[in-house]
Amino acid sequence: MTMKKQIKNVLMSYLVSGPSLLLIALIVVFPIIYTFFISLTNMSVYHWFDFTIIGLENYWRALFVFDSGFLSALLATVLWTAVNMVIQLVIAFILASLLNVKKLRLRKLYKTLLMFPWAMPGYVSILLWKTGVFNSEFGLLNQLMEALGQQTMRWLSTNVSAFICCTVVNLWLALPFMIMIMDGALQSIDASYYESALLAGASWLARTRYITIPSIKPIIAPAVIITVFTTFKQFDVVYLLTQQMGARTGSDFHTILTYAYENAFVTNNYGYSSAISIIIFLLMLAFSARFKLAGEETL
Amino acid sequence: MKKRTRERLGLAVLNIFFIILCFVTLIPILYALSVSFSGTNSLLSSDFSFIPKSFTLANYAEVFTGEDIMTWFGNSILLAAATVFISLAVSVPAAYCFSRRSFPGRRLVLRWLVLLNSFPAILSMFAVYRLLQPVGLVNHRLGLIIVYTGTMAVFSLWNMKGYFDTIPLDIEEAARMDGATDLQVVTRIVMPLAKPSVIVTALMVLIYVWNEYIYATTFMTGEANYTLAAGLYALQATEMSGSWPVFAAASIVVSLPVLIIFFLCQKHMTSGLTAGGVKG
Amino acid sequence: MAFTLAACGAQEVDESSIVIWHDKEDAVAEVLQSYLDEALPELDITLEKKTSLTDSLKLVGNDPSSAPDMFIFAHDKIGVFAEMGILASIEELLPEGELSNYLDMTTEAATYKGTVYQLPLYFETLLFMYNRKYMTDDMVPDTTEELYDYMEANTGRDRYGFVEQHSTAYYSAAWIHGFGGEIISADGVPFPEPDAVKDALRYHLKFVQLMPGETEYSTVNTLFLEGKADSTIGGPWMVPSAREAGIDLGIAPMPVVDETGEPLAPYSGVQGVHVLTFAAENKGDSVGAVLSALCSPEIGNQLALASGCAPARAECYDEEAVASDELVQAMRSTAEIAVPMPNIPEMDVMWTVMSNLLTDVNLSGRDVDESFDEAMGEAESLIANMK
Repeated sequence: MTMKKQIKNVLMSYLVSGPSLLLIALIVVFPIIYTFFISLTNMSVYHWFDFTIIGLENYWRALFVFDSGFLSALLATVLWTAVNMVIQLVIAFILASLLNVKKLRLRKLYKTLLMFPWAMPGYVSILLWKTGVFNSEFGLLNQLMEALGQQTMRWLSTNVSAFICCTVVNLWLALPFMIMIMDGALQSIDASYYESALLAGASWLARTRYITIPSIKPIIAPAVIITVFTTFKQFDVVYLLTQQMGARTGSDFHTILTYAYENAFVTNNYGYSSAISIIIFLLMLAFSARFKLAGEETL
Repeated sequence: MKKRTRERLGLAVLNIFFIILCFVTLIPILYALSVSFSGTNSLLSSDFSFIPKSFTLANYAEVFTGEDIMTWFGNSILLAAATVFISLAVSVPAAYCFSRRSFPGRRLVLRWLVLLNSFPAILSMFAVYRLLQPVGLVNHRLGLIIVYTGTMAVFSLWNMKGYFDTIPLDIEEAARMDGATDLQVVTRIVMPLAKPSVIVTALMVLIYVWNEYIYATTFMTGEANYTLAAGLYALQATEMSGSWPVFAAASIVVSLPVLIIFFLCQKHMTSGLTAGGVKG
Repeated sequence: MAFTLAACGAQEVDESSIVIWHDKEDAVAEVLQSYLDEALPELDITLEKKTSLTDSLKLVGNDPSSAPDMFIFAHDKIGVFAEMGILASIEELLPEGELSNYLDMTTEAATYKGTVYQLPLYFETLLFMYNRKYMTDDMVPDTTEELYDYMEANTGRDRYGFVEQHSTAYYSAAWIHGFGGEIISADGVPFPEPDAVKDALRYHLKFVQLMPGETEYSTVNTLFLEGKADSTIGGPWMVPSAREAGIDLGIAPMPVVDETGEPLAPYSGVQGVHVLTFAAENKGDSVGAVLSALCSPEIGNQLALASGCAPARAECYDEEAVASDELVQAMRSTAEIAVPMPNIPEMDVMWTVMSNLLTDVNLSGRDVDESFDEAMGEAESLIANMK
């Protein structure tokens, strides 16, 4: 390839992907840069128009937020992400495989019904779970407990049970997407691979391990990676179920974002809150550097 | 013969399994459904049953007449259609380009995109406002479309790029040997094969826009400009005066279009790779 | 020359168009809209409903292209917006002495650092409400101990003697005030009387134990509306639904704390109109006209009756329909003891601190002293971090 042709090739590539990258630059990258800029200022309710650059002072102050409460929130978040991702992937894989059983005629109906949680705005679903299922006075769970002659419970009041309840709701919200991605990926596997494997007498486990998983991995990787980050920075589920103002339930389970919200964002000190956002972001970057991204070989 | 009975039995078990699973999954929604048909104004009730005691359609009637649901519905459709269209229009070429071409910066851009996407966006609102305000796009649909497209752009690019990667190069080369131009290769060969991924991406964008309410309530003023999700949010935000059954009915109404679209899309979500009988 | 310069300015101000944001129920908005349309036909006034109004204002400030000219909200955010520099003083926009016609409590609430930033329309307080089916008028407790006795006698499986949103800052304030404490002082000191707060928390705990484990609105509301709770402390917003649910609703004065002899004194919220600085500077005449129109007792009455709240203007109570309204009267007499919500910016974080403290004590069963110290520390660090 000549030099000229190579340059043309590069230009062409960026030209074609330009609009997409431009949008990303505006909506994804710019807010990060802007937040970083604000984090260097003293912008707050008291200096809303007349804020000035104060350097790294906010970062220095932010270090005080990283106390034991923050550390336990960080640990809880890591645990939360791991538990949610593992369960989510396993269940999605099993359900998607079952949905692909050849003679299952009602598959379209099942799939559509299973997508329902995804079709509702998140806050609506969370509200339904909170008031309809977990509410200690009227919730379905406690009505069931009563029907079974068991003691009723305050489901969202302790850390462990709140963690479990939040996980259930998060899975409920996230599984439809994951099932859909898995389902699509499973269908893309060339049937002839299985045929030859069956001829060779490979067991289901062996087929799953040597054909299915390697084949779907590159396809689901992007979705999985993005879901890992979404789970890590989950706010709505935990906040709306257990922490919402005027409706606290007594649990103290925090993800780093709900923790940062309660300990920084409520102050309306934008400089300070921005510094905390940036630090959380750097933490996430550090995590992803430490645990090599699963899908990186697909790059 | 014996094998067949076993197969049937297996299918029956599987069907029962899915029926139970669907029921369990839908419990919160059945709950909303029941509230939406009931005459008493409460989301809660101590003597709840899935079949409401006093059955009424009044709440649905109110959804369609009382609130500006049809206006919001129109807004949602407009925003969703425009966002899906623009998203695909910008992401398909980009994803194809990142999958097929090699150019300096490609790996770097790809890797950083996903990392940058992990930024906790709670404070992004402020920056986005500063971005849209000078060009007069606050309280303007185009502003929202840009925000939505940008937010989903990383996912769209990555997701489709991942799928493009699995389409064997041989197919394209064979077509090129037959004299197809680049554009023809993409539109005639690659796109049909990548249809499932394109549809998944489109659905994802659609559902995001359909359910998004934070930007919609913050940037748009006046009830006439709300989307369905935003309007619904406003309904429950005034819980002091709000009516739960109407809210429940509205949330069912909001979900149905998405489900119908999903149902209709399913047959296109089967992979073109296997359907086309192309061997890798 | 000056003219051309002004004309070249980015914004052309249409003086006759006024946008008012609000987050009120439709009934209130309709009353306002039709009244203003009639009173000021020469102006083009639009009331726009805005969910998460305060968050939006914190975003847009008083930027003329996206902010409203005025907005209607409770008085408790005045400090925040005044410090941001987006609120205009309304005194200069009103005829001299106009504000003297208002109940003192409402103008006090509207004043931050000596400046009045809000024209009060109506106010609301929490009220002691009971279901006559279970709690007859002669059974209504005069003191908190009587209330407790009633609760003990009438709380059992599936029924509660009394319910309230016990672990919510807004509701607990009544108890804290009853013990002479405060969530935050007027000059921004959190919990100026620590012992009063601790006493209130300790005392209140035994009531909480006879209440449901949920503190949110819908549970408490539903219990009362379904006749599963005999009495409650709630806002006027509960009244329409209670009447709709066929409850024989009684409203009584707040019980008196035996130990201190002071009644439970809830917060009051004054709803009123605020003017943004850009509008005050550029559309002064129109904004002034709107404010003057809203001073009329007539709209005060209409609004009060539409919202079920009490008018802020004193002479409204001369009106027969208002004076005879049981709810309005109850609110007015509660207003004598009610404490206006603090309007200083520091209060913004105290909601969070207080609700954490209540959660710890009431729902997680933690030690009062220890939780209080923690809350105090949290309050101090959050307030320090606001600046």
